[in-house]
Amino acid sequence: MRYAGQSWWEPPVPIPNTEVKPPNVFGCTGRREGLGSLGSWRPLHLRKKYIYLHILHECYLVNAVIPVGQIFGTGNDLNSILFNVLYLVAFFIIILFFNQRMQIWTYQRNVEKATQRLQELADKSKEQALNSIKPFTEANADIRAKVTGFLDFFTIEPVDRDPYGVLTRLDHILDTRHDRLREFVRQIAPKAGSSDTANTEDVLEVAMALNYVFKIVRHYLILGKKTKSLMIFVQLDMQLPLLMKTAEAYFTAQKGMSEGKPWGDGLGPLVASKLMYGGAVKPISQEVVYAEVDISNRKAIILKAEGPGGVVGKPGEAVKELVEGRKGKIARIIMIDAAGKLEGETTGEVVEGIGAAIGDPGPEKYKIEEAATKYNIPIDAIICKMDIDEALTTMKKEVAEASDKIVERIRTSIVERTKEGDVVIVAGIGNTMGVAQ
Amino acid sequence: MSKIPGKSRQPTLAIISIALTIVAFILFILATFMESLADYTTLLLTAGLGLLAVSWIIYFFGGRMAPKKEPTPEKVVTVIGCRNCDVREERDFQQGDFIPKELGPCKKCSGKSYIKAIYAVTEKKPNADGK
Repeated sequence: MRYAGQSWWEPPVPIPNTEVKPPNVFGCTGRREGLGSLGSWRPLHLRKKYIYLHILHECYLVNAVIPVGQIFGTGNDLNSILFNVLYLVAFFIIILFFNQRMQIWTYQRNVEKATQRLQELADKSKEQALNSIKPFTEANADIRAKVTGFLDFFTIEPVDRDPYGVLTRLDHILDTRHDRLREFVRQIAPKAGSSDTANTEDVLEVAMALNYVFKIVRHYLILGKKTKSLMIFVQLDMQLPLLMKTAEAYFTAQKGMSEGKPWGDGLGPLVASKLMYGGAVKPISQEVVYAEVDISNRKAIILKAEGPGGVVGKPGEAVKELVEGRKGKIARIIMIDAAGKLEGETTGEVVEGIGAAIGDPGPEKYKIEEAATKYNIPIDAIICKMDIDEALTTMKKEVAEASDKIVERIRTSIVERTKEGDVVIVAGIGNTMGVAQ
Repeated sequence: MSKIPGKSRQPTLAIISIALTIVAFILFILATFMESLADYTTLLLTAGLGLLAVSWIIYFFGGRMAPKKEPTPEKVVTVIGCRNCDVREERDFQQGDFIPKELGPCKKCSGKSYIKAIYAVTEKKPNADGK
């Protein structure tokens, strides 16, 4: 067997040329037949050319591939044995102690790059928010400090150790947050109309979300560096793809929000808007409107958030009011919403199911489920599949086209599953930016 | 390892890095087993190590050198329709557009024209021929 051009079982061959390989060079074994003889038979000019490489090789490279047999006493050279023992020790030190450090470096590098990008997104998002607010501010008003300070605005979730009434408390906290945000926008942008105020709230929400994500990731990056914890970096690195995707989607969406373009998430309100055409539109609950229309001799109560400003309203509250107002005499509740698609599924695919199709933190969904359960009303759900970035950015053509299919499905469902004279609630759930009624 | 946006060159760099590693190992094998190359062992091993180093550098620093991916240009279209007829007109989105904004009488039938849809269309980047 040969290693690096040398038979390791052969006895050591002394190197005749001391110019090429000084005998006292630490770690040089003199075992390398090919290299050992390189200096002896090659012309002088060639020898000189290879002197450096030769010494380098003898000192470092050969030992990297030297046979194990030599390490355990087959060599006569003390330097050789010593070097190989040191080599083994160094090898194990690297494997045992630096292995994790090298992994930390690799993960840390990814997290650092992501943090830089998140900082860039947070900064740009803040500037974008300032630019979109500027046209609605008083002349010479300096809003930068106020907006920068408001980006750190936080909401404390209600205690859930005692879960009784937690959704009512959460509902209250969310209402307070919403009121506070609206109050702030009216204060810094007094010239904004109702739609512009709603859109500016969304723009600020994005800036706040990106600022928060950046600070959290930076926190764990610094914590990981301080504690030198591989686990912190690994966990962070595993979550980064989805985190970055969401952050990029939010950032892309922000520009569209300031211009009032409909989102992918606006599919529900778009369908409701198409269905309620011709009916008298009336307000019900916070930022929600409804209209009663006739569909094949059934009374359909269509509700959606009040557009075209970017609001979601409180559709749960609206459904509860409508059900209670009719003492439960509702044949069906049909809910339309955008839903996250699984990888491999097509954007704009329309799927039917049952249950309250609404992606709120809980209170609105709870109200719908509670009202439906109380009066034993079936809830149908029709969803349109899309990616998270498609839901947050300007509506795609596929989604806009899917809205017509959903309108037809609703008409068919109402005819197939209800009798003439029945009352049906159709709730278009989602952000209604760019979609009026 | 996670994929971070803006790394369009990363797959190419990863392939180059792997290819260099394979070449380096081929050199090591040649240096080890080919007796006819015994005199060039030093060179082969040095070259192999060099290739391994370059491979590692490409892997480690490749992501940093990669230029940021340019966002795909997006065109937002406003579709105008009519309540009475099937007229359909498309134009670029203008601030203030919303569904179903009334836009006055239809050009074809004098019915009510309105904004029927607003959606984004991803524009394909023109190729070298400008097509």
